[in-house]
Amino acid sequence: MVRVVVGIKWVPNTQAVRFDPKTGTLIREGVPSIVNPHDLDAVELALKLRDRYGGEVIAISMAPPSAIKGLEHVLGMGVDRAILISDRVFAGADTLATSYVLANAIRRLGSFDLIIFGQETIDSSTAHIPAQVASWLDLPYVYYVEDVEELGGGRAVVRRRLEDRIEWYEIELPAVIATAMHSQQPRPVRLSYKLRAKTERRVEVWDNKVLGLDERCVGLRGSPTVVTKVTWMPEVPRKRQVFRGDPREAVKWLIEKLREEGVLPY
Amino acid sequence: MAAVECEKLCPEWGCTDPSEYRGVWVVGELDEEAGTISEYSLQLLTPARMVADKRGTWVEGVLLGYDRGALERAAREMIYHGADRVRVLYSERLKPYNAEVYAKAIARTAERYKPEVVFFAATMRGRELAPYVANTLRTGITADCTQFDVDKDGNLLMIRPPFAAILLAYIKTPNRRPQMATARPNVFPTPPRDESRRGEVVWEDESLLEGIRPRARLLKVRRLERRETPIEKAEYVVAGGRGVGTPEGFRMLEELANLLGGVVAGSRKAVDLGLIPHEKQVGQTGKSVRAKLYIAVGISGAAQHVIGIRECRVVVAINKDPEAPIFRHADYGIVADWKDVVPLLIQELRKLAAERGRR
Repeated sequence: MVRVVVGIKWVPNTQAVRFDPKTGTLIREGVPSIVNPHDLDAVELALKLRDRYGGEVIAISMAPPSAIKGLEHVLGMGVDRAILISDRVFAGADTLATSYVLANAIRRLGSFDLIIFGQETIDSSTAHIPAQVASWLDLPYVYYVEDVEELGGGRAVVRRRLEDRIEWYEIELPAVIATAMHSQQPRPVRLSYKLRAKTERRVEVWDNKVLGLDERCVGLRGSPTVVTKVTWMPEVPRKRQVFRGDPREAVKWLIEKLREEGVLPY
Repeated sequence: MAAVECEKLCPEWGCTDPSEYRGVWVVGELDEEAGTISEYSLQLLTPARMVADKRGTWVEGVLLGYDRGALERAAREMIYHGADRVRVLYSERLKPYNAEVYAKAIARTAERYKPEVVFFAATMRGRELAPYVANTLRTGITADCTQFDVDKDGNLLMIRPPFAAILLAYIKTPNRRPQMATARPNVFPTPPRDESRRGEVVWEDESLLEGIRPRARLLKVRRLERRETPIEKAEYVVAGGRGVGTPEGFRMLEELANLLGGVVAGSRKAVDLGLIPHEKQVGQTGKSVRAKLYIAVGISGAAQHVIGIRECRVVVAINKDPEAPIFRHADYGIVADWKDVVPLLIQELRKLAAERGRR
């Protein structure tokens, strides 16, 4: 039997955010939110372990109430229990304050074997949360995990992939792991599960009345980092010379230009 | 910087006096097998020097490892590239590399010497170490910075693109020290190497490791064969996007790259389509490249992509859509179907290569 906690984030679908070059603004209207795709690797790995050893998978997410949809999505994949951690005082949190809330919520869940996170999120891609949660809970942690090959007797063997090597670690449990990107093939949502999640209101909501955390440690107040301003990124000056017409002429033109630049290896 | 009223801060953080913190740290990354320091760590000495000069303080390198010779050489390299002092934590107990052990040891060292700034390169290793170190020190951390500055109160400004890669967010950690950040590899230039530079190498004592026990044990390693240069180190990069679309198309790009002595890369779309692996992705969620010549084929040029080619010297774009944003970010653009252009380009380059061969 395993008990696995999996952390997910409800993120704007950054692929759908468009830039209007005429007005110089971001087009955010109608941009749907989704479960961070890299977190689905974590959900899949957690479900695989449960299918193999039996037990329970608990998904948690700190987000505004609209993220219930995201948790219903993973309930639809087969997660056993889902908890939304949501309170106005948690808003505006940086990664330290977010990990603090998540770590305290996980403490309330009692004993567990593994906490699994996705490698990073598509909206901010910091990859901080797994290590920060490990630090708050003083647990061992391994990043870039492709698979958990063995589990039992208070230990697990995990395989992780780096750029030039594959490593196998034996870790003491409980532990935190972050999955390698694209390492799993997340199973599809079963509509019957998702529907039941919705109709039975399966997503539990924990606010700060439940967690009872010091308001100086959460949300904007509990965040040591502060965003002071946001500006446009200056464009790199480029020559922007464009050739239209016959491909043969185009190639000649290009090679001439590249020779002038002195960037050809010949 | 103003005195901090501790009762307003989270009690879990503890109360520290920011004015006690001095010096800018660069945590160096060793390639244990090659026995060399990572180029990306040396690149960080560029912003570290700038910040230290503005703050009127020093630059310190920090190195951890178990190979005395390699550590010595790496420390010297950091000094040649701008560090004033390098703190070396050398111990058999640091063998092999272990994230938790290294992170805790770095945090201990920071608690002892109180640097005001700690930089890591945002490599795979830096990205797993830095947040653990920051959290252990109960301080903030900003990921993947592309610029740094110092504000009028002496705070470090950590500048990074948030999810929309056309924006830059300025982030600071006003009430906590150290101020921590990871920096994107290949964004900062490596400072010039000067062998006449002098600096101090301090061998730290092993007491910094007391009570730190690895709870993850490395069982085995399988090295992956690396036949080609990684894209972030290549001088010539030919990148394909959705427009290239097929494995056959990418094989043609491969041919072009080979002729230039370069490598093939791709956009996020190409990764999503399974045409190239993630480690060859250029852009915000991939890598930054510093190529002499970057050829973008069938890539529309979303902000998230072009952020990864800012440091390239010459950018060429081939795309059949004249409105594709990539042309704004290219030095030379050809509006045409890549299938008409790339074979001809290969043909012409082959001729040039053969001519050189004859000379």
